[in-house]
Amino acid sequence: MPANATASALSDPAWMRRLLIATALVFLALFLLLPLVAVFAEALRRGVSAYWAALVEEDALAAIKLTLIVAAIAVPANLVFGMAASWCVAKFDFRGKNLLITLIDLPFSVSPVISGLIYVLLFGLNGLMGPYLKSHGIQIIFAVPGLVLATIFVTFPFVARELIPLMQEQGSEEEEAALVLGASGWQTFWRVTLPNIKWGLLYGVLLCNARAMGEFGAVSVVSGHVRGYTNTMPLHVEILYNEYNFVAAFAVASVLAMLALVTLVAKTALEWRFGAELAASRHK
Amino acid sequence: MAIQVSGITKQFGTYRALDSVDLEVRSGELLALLGPSGSGKTTLLRIMAGLESPDAGSLQLNGEEALGLKPRDRQVGFVFQHYALFRHMTVFDNVAFGLKVRPRAQRLPSAEIKRRVMELLELVQLGHFAERYPAQLSGGQRQRVALARALAIEPKVLLLDEPFGALDAKVRKELRRWLRKLHDEIHITSVFVTHDQEEALELADRVVVMSQGRIEQIGSPAEVYDHPSSAFVYEFLGQVNRFDCTVEGGVARIGNGALSITTDETLRGSGIAYVRPHDLGVAPAAAGPGRVSGIHVVGPDARVEIELDGLSLEAEMDRERFTSLGMVVGDRCTVQIDRARVFTR
Repeated sequence: MPANATASALSDPAWMRRLLIATALVFLALFLLLPLVAVFAEALRRGVSAYWAALVEEDALAAIKLTLIVAAIAVPANLVFGMAASWCVAKFDFRGKNLLITLIDLPFSVSPVISGLIYVLLFGLNGLMGPYLKSHGIQIIFAVPGLVLATIFVTFPFVARELIPLMQEQGSEEEEAALVLGASGWQTFWRVTLPNIKWGLLYGVLLCNARAMGEFGAVSVVSGHVRGYTNTMPLHVEILYNEYNFVAAFAVASVLAMLALVTLVAKTALEWRFGAELAASRHK
Repeated sequence: MAIQVSGITKQFGTYRALDSVDLEVRSGELLALLGPSGSGKTTLLRIMAGLESPDAGSLQLNGEEALGLKPRDRQVGFVFQHYALFRHMTVFDNVAFGLKVRPRAQRLPSAEIKRRVMELLELVQLGHFAERYPAQLSGGQRQRVALARALAIEPKVLLLDEPFGALDAKVRKELRRWLRKLHDEIHITSVFVTHDQEEALELADRVVVMSQGRIEQIGSPAEVYDHPSSAFVYEFLGQVNRFDCTVEGGVARIGNGALSITTDETLRGSGIAYVRPHDLGVAPAAAGPGRVSGIHVVGPDARVEIELDGLSLEAEMDRERFTSLGMVVGDRCTVQIDRARVFTR
C-alpha cells in the first residue's frame, strides 16, 4: 500500500472512477451508438437489395450528386475565406477587429433557418434583388447557387474558428524572420505559414465538410425541394420519411452517417499518424 | 557597413516610441542599445531591419537611403528575442532557408548550399544537430541556430533583439563571450538590444543608452559608466546612492547637512546627488555620525549599509579592506564621499 499511497491520495476512489466511466459510456451508447445502429438497422430491414435499390434510385443519386457538388464548392471557398479572415485577425491590428471576430461567429449564433431566409429576402422573386436577377435570367433561390450560398454562410466559421487561436498563438515572428531572410510574401506563405497551420486547417476543413454535407435548415429554406434538382441528401431524407418510405429514408441517412464516420476515422488516423508532428507544431 | 539614423520618429497610437532619434553605427562595431522596457530600443532595431516603418526621419545603410527598401533587400541578419525558428523545419533547413528562397538565377547549387550550411553549423558548434527540430534543442542551442540562420545570407549588418534575454544566467554568460569572440573573428557590423546593463557594458564597443524614445548618451562602456551625462544614465547603469540635496555656492548639502559635496559654482537650487557605492569611504570611529546597519559579504566584495542622519547609504569595498576595518553591525563610523555627481532640477 505505501507505494500507492500518493497515487490514491491524489485520485478519486475506485468506485467513483468506475461510476464516472460507466456514466459516460452509457450516455455515449444511448445517444450516439444506439441511433447509429438504428439508422443502419432500419435501412437494412428489407434486406440489402432494397437498401441498394433505394440508393441507386434516380432522385437519390441526384441528391447525392448535388450534395457533393455543393460541398465541393462551399468547402474550398470557406478554406480560402477562413484562411484570409484568420490571417487578418491574427497577424494585424486594426479598427473593428472585434467586430470582425463577432461577424465570423455569426453563422453559429443565428438559426440556420434565418440564414436561409435572409437569402430568400435578398435574392427571391420578391426580394431586394429579385427583379434585377429575374430580368437577367439569373435564378439563385430554389436553385443550386442558393444552396451553395446558404451552405457557405452556415459553414463559414469552421475553418476560421480553428485557425484564429492557432495563428494568434504562433504570432508573426516566423513570418518576419522569413521576410528578413529574403523570402517573398508568397514564399513565406507556402513555406512558413501554411506548414505551421496545416493541421488546424485540416481539422477545420473536415468539420466544415461534414457540416456542408449535413446542413438542413438553411438549405431547406432556399432549396424549394424540387426532387432530382434542388434536393440535397438531408432534404431527400426528410421527403422520403414524410412519404413513409422508411427504408429509403434510412438508406440515404445511412450514407450521411457513413460520411460522418469517415470524417471521424480520417481525423483519428491523421492524429495517430502525425501525432508527434502535430504536438511539435503546437509548441515551440 | 555603416548605418546612419537621422530624425527617426515613431508613434504607436498616442504612445511615442521614438522621438527624433539620431544615431550613427560605425562599420564593423558591436553596438548595444541599452534601456528599460518601453524605451524604444526594439522599435529602433526593427526599423533598421525594415520590420517597422518610421513616421518621420531617414535611415541610410552604407550611405544609401534604405527606408524604401523591403527587409529582403536590406541585407540584414535579424535574430529575434524568442529566436522565431521555423518549428516545422530541421536545424539544417532553418539555416538553409535564406539560401533556398533566393530567385533561381542567384541561387547556389544544392551541394554548395549544403556545404555552406554545414560550415555555419560547425561555426556555431551545432554540426551534430543538423537533423534535429527546434523543439528538441535547448535555449542556448536554439539561439545559436538563429544566429547561424541569420548569418547564412551573408548579411552586411547583424541585428539582435535581446539575444540572451530568454536564457538562464550561466548559459547567458557563456554565449555572451562566445558572441564577442565571433564578432572579433568576422567583424560584421552588429547592433544588439538589451535591458541588461552588465551585458551591454561587457559585450559592446559602444553603448547607446535610451529612455522614453530618446537617446540619453552614446559612448564606450567606460565613458557611460564613469561619466554619465544625465541623472537617468546614472541611475540606470550600475548601483548608485541617490540623495536629494540643496546646492549653493559650490557646495551641495545632503539631508540636514551631514554630508556635503563640492560642486560647480554655477549650480544652484535643489538637486540630486549620485554616489557610487565604491566611491563612499567608510572608517570606524567611536563617535562617528554613521551607524553600520547591515553587512553583506559575497565573493570578493563586501557591501555595508549605513544609517546616517536619517539617510540610508550603501558602500562597497573589497573583502580584504573590509576585513581590515573589522566592523560589525551596530558600530559607529564616519562616511566620506570620494566622488559624486550632482544634477540640479
